[in-house]
Amino acid sequence: MADALSSDLTKVDPSEAWKPWKPASGEWNRKWVSHLYRRAGFGATPAETDKAIADGLSKTLAHFMTGDPDAADRLELLTETGKYYTEPVNLRVWWLYAMTEGGHPLREKLALFWHNHFATSYAKVRSTKLMYEQNVTIRKHALGTFRPFLLDMSKDTAMLVWLDSNRNVKGAPNENYAREVMELFSLGVGNYTEKDIQEAARALTGWHHDAEVQKFEFNRELHDDGNKTIFGKTGKWSGEDVVRLCCDQGACAKFLVSKLYAFLVSETPPPKALVAPLADQFRKSDYDTAALVKTILGSRLFFSEHAYHKRVKWPVECALGAVRSATGERVPLADVVDPLSKMGQALFAPPNVKGWRTGTDWLNSATLLARNNFAEKVAVGDWSRNGRGRPPQQFGFVAEPTKIDEPKPVDTASAPAPEAKHDVCTTIFAANPKDVAAVVTQMSTLLYGEAAAPAQVKKLETFLLTPGPTAGAAPVAPKGPKPKSKGPTPPETKSADGTKTKSEPEPKPKKAEPPKPLDPKDVKLDSPEFKARVREAYHAMMCLPEYQLN
Amino acid sequence: MSTRRDFLKTTLGASSLLAVGGVVPEFLASTARAAEKEDKKKDTILVVIELTGGNDGLNTVAPYGDDLYHKARPTLAFGKKEVQKLDDYHGLHPRMNELKRLYDEKRLAVIQGVGYPNPDRSHFESMDIWQLADPKRGHTSGWLARSIPGMSVRDAGVPGMYLGNERLPVAIQGADGGVISLADRASFKLQLTGNQANRKALIEDLNGEKDTGKADLAAFVRKRQLQTYTSLKKIDDALREAGGSGQGRTNEFVGGRVVQRDPDDLNTLSGKLGLVGRLIQKGLGTRIYYVQLGGFDTHSGQAEMHAKLLGELSTSIGNFFNGLQAEHSERVAVMTYSEFGRRVKENGSRGTDHGSGSCMFLAGSQVVGGLVGKHPSLSDLTDGDIKYHTDFRRVYATLLDDWLEVDSRGVLDDKFEKLPLIDRKKKAPAGSGPSKSNNPLPPGALPDDPTAPGAGAPPVKEDVPPPVEK
Repeated sequence: MADALSSDLTKVDPSEAWKPWKPASGEWNRKWVSHLYRRAGFGATPAETDKAIADGLSKTLAHFMTGDPDAADRLELLTETGKYYTEPVNLRVWWLYAMTEGGHPLREKLALFWHNHFATSYAKVRSTKLMYEQNVTIRKHALGTFRPFLLDMSKDTAMLVWLDSNRNVKGAPNENYAREVMELFSLGVGNYTEKDIQEAARALTGWHHDAEVQKFEFNRELHDDGNKTIFGKTGKWSGEDVVRLCCDQGACAKFLVSKLYAFLVSETPPPKALVAPLADQFRKSDYDTAALVKTILGSRLFFSEHAYHKRVKWPVECALGAVRSATGERVPLADVVDPLSKMGQALFAPPNVKGWRTGTDWLNSATLLARNNFAEKVAVGDWSRNGRGRPPQQFGFVAEPTKIDEPKPVDTASAPAPEAKHDVCTTIFAANPKDVAAVVTQMSTLLYGEAAAPAQVKKLETFLLTPGPTAGAAPVAPKGPKPKSKGPTPPETKSADGTKTKSEPEPKPKKAEPPKPLDPKDVKLDSPEFKARVREAYHAMMCLPEYQLN
Repeated sequence: MSTRRDFLKTTLGASSLLAVGGVVPEFLASTARAAEKEDKKKDTILVVIELTGGNDGLNTVAPYGDDLYHKARPTLAFGKKEVQKLDDYHGLHPRMNELKRLYDEKRLAVIQGVGYPNPDRSHFESMDIWQLADPKRGHTSGWLARSIPGMSVRDAGVPGMYLGNERLPVAIQGADGGVISLADRASFKLQLTGNQANRKALIEDLNGEKDTGKADLAAFVRKRQLQTYTSLKKIDDALREAGGSGQGRTNEFVGGRVVQRDPDDLNTLSGKLGLVGRLIQKGLGTRIYYVQLGGFDTHSGQAEMHAKLLGELSTSIGNFFNGLQAEHSERVAVMTYSEFGRRVKENGSRGTDHGSGSCMFLAGSQVVGGLVGKHPSLSDLTDGDIKYHTDFRRVYATLLDDWLEVDSRGVLDDKFEKLPLIDRKKKAPAGSGPSKSNNPLPPGALPDDPTAPGAGAPPVKEDVPPPVEK
């Protein structure tokens, strides 16, 4: 067996990095299965994890490459049904359905990548039909080869609308598409000149959509058929030639590989030499995306700490991952659409042609709050029933702030349990945990694919063992100190003791001291109170980097 | 490329502070405040006030020295004695004494003759044009939303915030996750069922866990999580301090009459600006605040309504700056705009109809005060409307480049000639600045009732046509 990869990324031998990983016995475990499923798909259900462990890495990876045996049938069905949606929200649900139920998660994952790469928005295109058609084109090429893909996208009607192609005419070229095809779609900044763009725009003149905005149409009248010089080559270049010339540039493979690396491996920019072998492979294969992806996903580097948790989950990954890992049954995907846009990723509506700002840019107070709130929905099983929406939230500026925060005296036990099919507890208790520790283990396995850090485990156990405040003891004055607030002293001694002895905060009106953790023996694992706390703890665990990172 | 790395580096630079152990939002808040002191130069803030309905520019900045004005406005024109005189020709509406004060302190720019080619007189269409900053309406996201991706925002700040209970204005639509609406408090509220306090404590506790000292991604996420709760708390606190009776609905017309609300009422402009002020002083990272004042569609009986509205506008802006501590005041600029102006000639109902071209205000310590551009001629009209001479996108471009430090070209698709509106080196003029005498007032409080007849301003004329004065 080869030596372990250096922990210093700059010292990792590129020729070793991309060799297939050969896990030693026991190394192919939940942690790495979950990792693979998060990156190659949208997270694993418990059953999928079990199966993958039994199958081993190479069989699992092969399965990702082809999808389920009936994936082709499902694709046909999906493609047919997608035609009929006229509302963006429905189209979004349709795609989410394709991601979770299409039988080919890797294809959908790459489709998501390419959607961001060829970022086109309904906001300007204003047609679900065109957005659907572009999505079908993307799906078709997602794991195909790049040249025909780029050509199809260059003639895609939604794209033509999006980048004003009809304004690009002989004598008055509009450079919008010519610029983006080089800057964003194939080469990246610094690999072309302004002159290249001007000339390419001329070559693309007349690449229009028809008057009905239904399909591509070559307008010969408005095409400039003179000589153009692009990348130093002169000829009567056409739009097809622009695509070909871009793909012939050495920068093309490097550019695409670096984007795929960030998407599949890590958002830490790699040393150039590290990705050079991938770019070589991509170029030599004439842009065989599937082969490249397979190399990456099977590699030693992919299954190393250089990749593990080195990306911030995209909102789609965050939402679907939570859904898949936690709930045995399908949830109403329509419930996912709105949270996704609050998290900053409304499908079919990236903010501009550069696509979403990914990485740490996904997280600000508003988007992270949306992640927290979606996690709550998952944890408490708060889904609309049978697809029927719930009444809209109260709306209004005058929200009586004081009332908002005053926690209502909560009787956890009486909170209605979610429907069993959407209850995280169903999944968590499926393995019949014997004690509180086993419950915590089960939760972290489901969510993280591995055990939580020991210090976290301890806090979670304490939380699970501590009965909620009774109806009278609940509200802490909104402005008052947090019940837990304790000095920065011993981080270990959580819970009641510290609070009581130490800071005994503001003189609170004769409140009883906070409840203490019960003896584990006294906790009934199947009681509604305990399960309510499990759901709460589950939510808290989704608000940690262990869940937010991919 | 390097921006993200740098960003990560700077954001995490202070994260070793978290190593102290316990997680105390207050502690974070104070580091945020400290950081803010250093960064305040960079963190400029733009407060946009939309005057909905088409504000009558001609009676906002009245060319009282022009006979044609009096001829065209037999019942509505203001005379020499009424206006808040800016010079021998221009005067602000009589009720705008606070804006006059800002003008005298060289903190108010009055931008005249603003518009765009082929003006549209439909409220909806024209509002879209202003808010998309695109007369062709090719864009579907607003100009402020488009500026957000290029904007730097401290900590976990939300770049843009809308305060109000209407649909999110087009200007800030399309910045998913970059804009929150404080009308929909539910959307910016942590949803926790069960034992909220305990769970929040647990989440903070878990995220305050172990700082490895490494500036890694996990530490970043933890910090963001805690900052998010801090932001929530700041917003909640600011709302709580708002006081306000919390009664009442949206705007202030009932049966054609203006109903004045409690000044702290969050449904009023002064209440909203008061809240904005508190949020700014709490160090929330937000760079753009957007509020509206409705009711400017004054087709009949304009005098009274317009006076109330402009009085409210002026007083609210004045109080807003008075309530800000100097160091915050320096980084705030307030811009007003409306979808169009109104016809030069008043109509038969003592009102005015939809016109084009109008004026904008820009207020702030680092604003170059004074009149910007000429008053459009009243003898050279198009279809009874004044001719604009300054494209509104020049104002936007100036604010983007010189104030918010966002490349205007990327937002507006074109290069617009800038206006001399901003001077980042400007000091508040001696003897003025955030007036100390007014400071003890709690933010949002009104020093006097702007609607009380004659409160600091000449009474509004009702029926008698003014004598034409020169």
